[in-house]
Amino acid sequence: MAKTIMVVDDSTSMRQMVKFTLAGAGYDVVEAKDGADALGRCNTPKVDLFITDLNMPNMDGIQLTRELRATAPYRFTPIVMLTTESQTNKKMEGKAAGATGWVIKPFQMEQLLAVVKKVCP
Amino acid sequence: MDIAALQIQMRDAFRVEATDLLAELDSSMLELESRPQDADLLNRVFRAIHTIKGSGGTAGFNEMAAFTHHVEELFDEARMGRLTITPEMIDLALQAKDLIGQLLESDSPATQESACAQVVEALAKFLPHSGKLSSNGKAKPGKVAAQNQRHKIFFKPNAQVFFSGTDPVNLVDELCTLGAATVTALVEEIPPLENLNPEQCYLAWGVDLMSAQPVPKIKEVFLFVEDESEIRIESRLEERSNETGKTEQQAAFLNIAGQSLEALDGFLSQLRSGTEPDRGCCRNYQRILKTFQAAANRQNQKEAATLLDEQIHLLEAAITNNTSLSEETKVNLEEGYQHLAALIQSLRANKPCVNNLETPTALQPDVASASAVPVGEGPKKEAAHASASIRVDQEKLDRLIQSAGELLVARNAFPILAKKLALEHGLSGMGKEVKDAGDHISRIAEDLQAAVMSIRMMPIRTVFQRFPRMVRDICRAQDKEVELLLEGEDTELDKTVIEQIADPLVHLVRNAADHGIESPEVRAQADKPRVGKVTLKAYNKANNVVIEVHDDGRGMDPARLKKKALEKGLITPSAAEAMDDRAALELIFLPGLSTAEQVTGISGRGVGMDVVRNNIRQLHGTTTIESHLGAGSKITITLPASLMVSRGILVEAKGEEYVFPIESVVQMVRLVRQQIHCHDQAHFATFRNEVFPVLRLADHFTGTGQFSEIAWPEEVPMAIVQTNRERVGVAVDRFIGQVEVIVKPMSRDFANITAFQGTTIMGDGRVALVINPAGFI
Repeated sequence: MAKTIMVVDDSTSMRQMVKFTLAGAGYDVVEAKDGADALGRCNTPKVDLFITDLNMPNMDGIQLTRELRATAPYRFTPIVMLTTESQTNKKMEGKAAGATGWVIKPFQMEQLLAVVKKVCP
Repeated sequence: MDIAALQIQMRDAFRVEATDLLAELDSSMLELESRPQDADLLNRVFRAIHTIKGSGGTAGFNEMAAFTHHVEELFDEARMGRLTITPEMIDLALQAKDLIGQLLESDSPATQESACAQVVEALAKFLPHSGKLSSNGKAKPGKVAAQNQRHKIFFKPNAQVFFSGTDPVNLVDELCTLGAATVTALVEEIPPLENLNPEQCYLAWGVDLMSAQPVPKIKEVFLFVEDESEIRIESRLEERSNETGKTEQQAAFLNIAGQSLEALDGFLSQLRSGTEPDRGCCRNYQRILKTFQAAANRQNQKEAATLLDEQIHLLEAAITNNTSLSEETKVNLEEGYQHLAALIQSLRANKPCVNNLETPTALQPDVASASAVPVGEGPKKEAAHASASIRVDQEKLDRLIQSAGELLVARNAFPILAKKLALEHGLSGMGKEVKDAGDHISRIAEDLQAAVMSIRMMPIRTVFQRFPRMVRDICRAQDKEVELLLEGEDTELDKTVIEQIADPLVHLVRNAADHGIESPEVRAQADKPRVGKVTLKAYNKANNVVIEVHDDGRGMDPARLKKKALEKGLITPSAAEAMDDRAALELIFLPGLSTAEQVTGISGRGVGMDVVRNNIRQLHGTTTIESHLGAGSKITITLPASLMVSRGILVEAKGEEYVFPIESVVQMVRLVRQQIHCHDQAHFATFRNEVFPVLRLADHFTGTGQFSEIAWPEEVPMAIVQTNRERVGVAVDRFIGQVEVIVKPMSRDFANITAFQGTTIMGDGRVALVINPAGFI
């Protein structure tokens, strides 16, 4: 069965790009436009991996990670952050909140796929 | 989808999004000028720039991203409170924003280079330090030593590792993909069951890895956990000696073993099936055995070597004497193979082999089968994401498609021939063979057609993409709240169809958002959610692609439509009377009809829907409309998935065959003479409360075009044909049936004969003319 990945980002084109990349590699992709939206959508279908931006309105990526870790189904689900290289302190915060890994923007599609494969094989 | 096409799509999609962001930046920055301390504003501006940089970079706008980075830095400092925005900075920022827009538009970023450099310099003055964009494509340090090294790796993850969503076993598996590895799980720290917390990790791993990968690559496996885990890597360059590198040699041997066994099995299956192998085969077999034996000797696998020796000797006799193999020999060969297979299997599993000479050969069938992957060597998976693509001249493609389509029609000749053979020549056996051959060709033709058409297929997403922006614009212009839902974006359509469907769809979506959805206040009053919903859905259904445009807005009022149509003289009062609600809705497709109270800048001139219907009809599709007053409307477009081959109704008139395109035929009926009336040199018929004129196909084309006095037969087969405005009954001599045809457009000499859209060749080789109802009637 194909794995389901949720991509959370307020940029439509970023979501599309991630979606194309992942769908092409055989994953099912669900989109959400910010943290709150993501929480609303993550119950069906069950998500196997979250990829989330950090800066978003309504609820940012770090807060989303905390919220997800507090829910029963997603305590141990991999969560990958999309971050820019100027946000290294965010990486620490993310890890503290329970994120699994990160991908630095801008990224090549192969990089994203490699990380996805690493945390959610 | 290949990477290049994806990139282009991404760039286009991003340009659309960027236009919005840049527009927002314009207004936000101006606001910021008057309220430079507004934290919310600062954040908004920062986020917009941040997104442009991030998404733009990923979409491939590298120069733009690099430039934007500097602007982002400025606003990052500002929102952190380390910098106050001055009008001078806003000036600069606006300049930068314009440049960003230009960088996005232009395909050669070099033209903006000097302007960008200037802005960057100016920005640098305000920044506490010169922010250099660290390249994300970091050059890999040093040369990769492609030498095999032995790494002893110790990995103990943090006890809380699970809470970061990490499964340490995945990491161990990843290590194994880097080379030949032996993994030992270190379980000493696991507490007794009653003290065990299942959410904690008590395990550690020792991995012995033989890999040519450099140490940094190995460390990369632990990239996300290295800060919290205990990781030790000891690396040693491997000398190729008999003591060390054993694992690798073992692996190599098992590889050869697996391949040999496979080949041997192939030979043996011949024997099993009763075929007599010739001398050449036996020689080959023996050669494989000898190679296998040599490898076994190198690896000191004495047992295997001995078994192989026996086999080699068994064959030797047969080969030298050129005799066939005796039954006994065959049995021995088979047994020998099975033992070898068992031996190799146990080597793989590292278990002592029980050499059981009495066990039946059914013990280990095909043990070392096809995927001869030796133990420890991980699968080498290439991420084959870059697929090869080739540019093709559209004309060549069209010719290919044409031929494929013709094949599809030509295949119809076979059943006809088969029938002929059976009925006219009494050769029903022959006939069946011809039919079978024809069926086979038929299937291949269909596969070919499908494959060829798929070349031109593109996902409808390319059209759908523009709508979110359009809807947003309408919302802003009219103070409405509309949510646009897109479904089935992956549904594929022929490229030409997609290009031609864009405009009609734009019109329909505009209508839905502009006229369909009411303002939030009106909606609230009607107990509807404030946010209106417009849904654009595409899906496959049988041989068609269906596109639905649905809104939950105010719906259309059949009564009003009738009224308007009457006012404009588009329908007669009696027609209006006779019309039911469903038919009334169809009035919307009449040119000039618009019940919009005002013509907005967006739509309302009433020239839209008829054009929409025409466009769809030209694509051999149909448009239908459903609507419920107060609840919303739904327009459904059905398009044939395939362009070239269309369906038609085959009829006969005065000995000639004609084809009506199926979308123009409303119904085929059989009227009795009494239903046809004559009045004033013209014929009429009544059918289902409708009166329509009647033409006789036979008269029209073969006669002098004059009114014919020939009596009507008892029963008149008639096709009720719909042109843009009217329905006409066309009487034919005979209906033959539905056919699939390739329509070849009329050659230029005949182009002014509007009655026909083209010709087609029927399965039996005859030519039929394809009628163009609009030109004909």
